[in-house]
Amino acid sequence: MYEAVHAHPDGQSTVARFAKTAADYGFEGVVVRNHADSRAEYDADRISEAYGIDVVSGLEIRATNPQEAGGSVGNYRSSKTILALHGGTNALNRFAVENEKLDVLTHPMADRGDVNHVLVKAAVENGVRLEFNLSGVLRKSGGQRVRVIQSLRKLKEIVDYYDAPYVVSADPTSHLELRGPRELQAVGEQLGFSSEFITEGLTEWQRLAERNRRIQSESFIEPGVERGRYEEQR
Amino acid sequence: MKHLPKHLQPRWRYLAVELESWPGESIGRRAFQRECWYAAQNLLGDPGSARADMTVIKFECTGKTGEAIVRVRRGETDPARAALSCIDEIDGAPVGISVCGISGTIRAAEEKYLGRREQDSKERNVVFGNEERVAVVQECVADVRLDEAFVGATDLDCDLV
Repeated sequence: MYEAVHAHPDGQSTVARFAKTAADYGFEGVVVRNHADSRAEYDADRISEAYGIDVVSGLEIRATNPQEAGGSVGNYRSSKTILALHGGTNALNRFAVENEKLDVLTHPMADRGDVNHVLVKAAVENGVRLEFNLSGVLRKSGGQRVRVIQSLRKLKEIVDYYDAPYVVSADPTSHLELRGPRELQAVGEQLGFSSEFITEGLTEWQRLAERNRRIQSESFIEPGVERGRYEEQR
Repeated sequence: MKHLPKHLQPRWRYLAVELESWPGESIGRRAFQRECWYAAQNLLGDPGSARADMTVIKFECTGKTGEAIVRVRRGETDPARAALSCIDEIDGAPVGISVCGISGTIRAAEEKYLGRREQDSKERNVVFGNEERVAVVQECVADVRLDEAFVGATDLDCDLV
């Protein structure tokens, strides 16, 4: 199970601190998904060796319109393992689910964004994961939290119907906001999401990272064609 | 009133909870108890909150980390865990919270799950991001003071001066 975090300078804790805390809580990896304007500098191999946890490089593209977002996708796709888009408006949600180069559409229901059957079908077709962002449940209260829970339930109904791919995250910006997998499962149960659903969403980050690392490795040429070991010429 | 016969006494589970905050914030037992009740009421509602019956039994907070034992009714540990994880602030201080284990007795909860973290922290000068800063260092983690806020870091990020 992996968690996707906003590290310093986007958040208030460094990647190493996130990795240490996440390892203590029982996560197997962290995905660093800083926004493009505040990228973190870190040595992933050193951190993962020190704390025994996988560190995946990622990026969350924040753009005001689809044209800008399209430029960023081209800039960062080859250098980052997981590429996400900061969703929340209808235009950007639409752009994300129709772009197969993107991996994740984060918080599609935040602000005034919305999701419908058309977007979810497009997400299934292009393999874009929709994010269930639990940050509003964990850190908001009152009417705002009610609306967040309503939107999560709506998203779950549509995702269930079309069997769409999804990820789950608490979206922490500091090590204090990180919650363990069992805590997230318990919160999910209260919202009407089974613990298997939450586990599946946390594991999806891991599957994404593995898939993209394989695709980006040098031995991969195109689907079905890989460079293997060949007989040496004599 | 005469106490209940043994088979009618409620069965309890004890959650061993670890708390963490930024340096300089102090968390009180009463504040933590109040947040537990609010969190349970907000997430589980009044009936759920009554069913879980969360009570802080033991609370100890020194510096930026703390430990607590929260008593809940048997069979209600998952809702209680969910309510606890929705606590993000106590008296305006952001807190990290994790349930490190559940036991049937207070003693077992203490012995198995609590008291494993080193408690003493000290202020040191460190180099973080090419600048010299003051940090509160505890074991291998360091909270580095920037101009207004803290940054959570570890010994991999900063060099001791």
